[in-house]
Amino acid sequence: MRSTKTVAAATTAVLMAGALGACSTSKGGSTNAAGEIEITCATCQKSTTDPFLQFNFEAAQRFNKANKGKYHVKTLQNANAGSADARLQYYQRLALADDLPDVFQLNNAEIKSLSSTGKLHDFAPDLKSDAKWAASFQPRAFEALSGKEGQRWAIPQQQDPIGIFYNKKLLAKVGYESFPTTWDDFEAMAAKLKNAGATPIALDGDWATLLMWSNLIGTQPAGRDFLTSEIATSKDWSTNKAAVKATERLRDWQAKGYVNADSLSGDFQNAASKYLAGKAATVPNGPWFVKTNLKSANAAPGLYDNTEYAPSPGWDAGRGLIVVSGAGWVSGTSDQTELEAVGAFVRFMSSTDEVVKQAKATGSNPPVKVPAATVKAAGLEPLSSRLVSRIPRVAQSFPHARVHAPGGIDAAWKNLWPAYVKGKIDTKAFLSRLATDSAAGS
Amino acid sequence: MRTTHQVRPPAPKPTAGPRIPAGMHGHVALSMLPALALFAVFFLVPLVVLAVTAFSRWGAGDFTFTGLDNYRQLFSDPVFWKAAGNTLFYCVASMVIQVPLGVAVGMTLAMKVPGWKLFRTIIFIPFVISGAAYALVFSMFYNPSYGLLNNLLAPVTGGQHDWLFNSGTARWAVAGTFVFIIGFVVVVVMAEVASIPTELLEAAEADGASLMQRQLFIVLPLLRNIIGTVILVRLLVDIGMFDLVYILTSGGPNDATTTLALYAYRAYVHGQWGYANAVGSVILILGATLIVTVRRVFRIGERAL
Repeated sequence: MRSTKTVAAATTAVLMAGALGACSTSKGGSTNAAGEIEITCATCQKSTTDPFLQFNFEAAQRFNKANKGKYHVKTLQNANAGSADARLQYYQRLALADDLPDVFQLNNAEIKSLSSTGKLHDFAPDLKSDAKWAASFQPRAFEALSGKEGQRWAIPQQQDPIGIFYNKKLLAKVGYESFPTTWDDFEAMAAKLKNAGATPIALDGDWATLLMWSNLIGTQPAGRDFLTSEIATSKDWSTNKAAVKATERLRDWQAKGYVNADSLSGDFQNAASKYLAGKAATVPNGPWFVKTNLKSANAAPGLYDNTEYAPSPGWDAGRGLIVVSGAGWVSGTSDQTELEAVGAFVRFMSSTDEVVKQAKATGSNPPVKVPAATVKAAGLEPLSSRLVSRIPRVAQSFPHARVHAPGGIDAAWKNLWPAYVKGKIDTKAFLSRLATDSAAGS
Repeated sequence: MRTTHQVRPPAPKPTAGPRIPAGMHGHVALSMLPALALFAVFFLVPLVVLAVTAFSRWGAGDFTFTGLDNYRQLFSDPVFWKAAGNTLFYCVASMVIQVPLGVAVGMTLAMKVPGWKLFRTIIFIPFVISGAAYALVFSMFYNPSYGLLNNLLAPVTGGQHDWLFNSGTARWAVAGTFVFIIGFVVVVVMAEVASIPTELLEAAEADGASLMQRQLFIVLPLLRNIIGTVILVRLLVDIGMFDLVYILTSGGPNDATTTLALYAYRAYVHGQWGYANAVGSVILILGATLIVTVRRVFRIGERAL
């Protein structure tokens, strides 16, 4: 009897251990049953809502087909593939467990944060050893994806000019056949639009507001310096004249009622919905806005045809454009065999064929130089293409404030901007705290 | 001589619980092992990790013991004090509005007023809705452009007030989203009222006590235990309040709505895990203090009758 119990207990223990073992995850070997080098991708899953994820999924299938018998990308189902805060936490935990996926996409703020774990692969040597590949990228394509000591933490996913979408019909109603070229004229137009009952500028207290702030800074003579270096190093942004001037002008738009009433919510959909309903005349955003919003069922009939995409007005030194490669492919493996496959995959993703396919699928622009004839033949989104063609003609191009600012700028802005707009803190206090809070949260 | 010496009954012997039969101690200890192991893994170990790492600089890339540095930084940070003040504000809002309102409604419905079952169900529904969904509903309710509140108040206020992002109203607007969720208090109070012996109320009625007097001087005092318990539950929920605030305001404007839990979360998201755990330990101590205080004030566990 006693021995039966002992056997039963031992069997149970073995079964439980087996079950626990089955539950545990393992990176396993890098070669699959077909003898291919297998790498995991955490942002290559099917998606009906995110065109970037869906494109990655399709591209990964093409890569697998083209490299059959040699490399294979295994798609991981990742619930955190697309969201901001949760995504970074998720990868931070994986980094701590030394279990990062072999390849995945991050934005520049996340790259800044995750690179400090020492678990991201530095692509600088790969680029150095392949000069042709390195030279294929657009100028400044790595600006937002590099470390302080020249590391290249990611291979750029896209390079987009970020302009201002405007409703031609609403502008025409107040006598503007084209987009204003100076901020003074832009404000005059806003006053007329307000009087006509339209919302002149759709903002959100977060992304879109920061875009306008970047435009207002970047179009000043010393603005680019602030956005590319001082914003990353200065301890007190309130000492920068360009930042002060831009901040106060942006605040005044709120005070004058040029901006939607719910512009402090931190929710871009509040800004987008005003524009999509045809009630707001302008909204700043990247070219992906066409695919994700303007051509969606939420847009008012005919809105796409009435929309044009313009560079930012200027103060007096000409117009400007935010040009940014804000996201890229990173790798969390240090295994040389897997890195060989990762290298093949990121080269594939940055090939002319794939970047043009990506541009068609998502509306984002190629991070590599693509011959004009190829672009034309591909029939890319005309709104976006027209803006791309204007990049060489604008007086200034500059990065989004997020690119070089400490990683905590979004949270700090969302927290402080409403209080500043409502007059609870002055410009000096706002910019000083924005600098310190951004750094504290980086 | 007559003595006044009182004869006390002998002190009762300590009550002996069920005894473990001889020779079974080992088996009993063994049977407790799984529970103890789970307790250790899922409670004790995290607690120790929290306590220890609160004294370290711990992020995704490094771990260094820094003594009391986290606490020094914490107590010198005005945002921490703001977060602590806001957390206590939400606790007080629950105690002052939610619990009394829930008790009053619970006592009223317990009298089986017409339609009490329907009211109880309607009042309980918001309690089972997830906090995130509730927050989204309220973010639309408060929206200055199309929110219901502004539309209702338009004849009075005349303008589009941004309730959630104005420093003066933000904290009140957040509190307004949960202080009226009284379903839990109502149901618990109703159950407690049902357990009060009807003879008590009948005797009071025979003695001429009015309905109001019976409610105030008999029912309410007998609810002491349960009121203390719901206050305790509410305080423990409020002290860790996160999802409502995160979705509604992200803690802004200018930290006017930030809670301790959100403050800890921000530190965690930014890779300051040791600092976040220092905040966590403060929340833990605050929670323990509240438990002890409320238990003592309401003498929870002592018999009411």
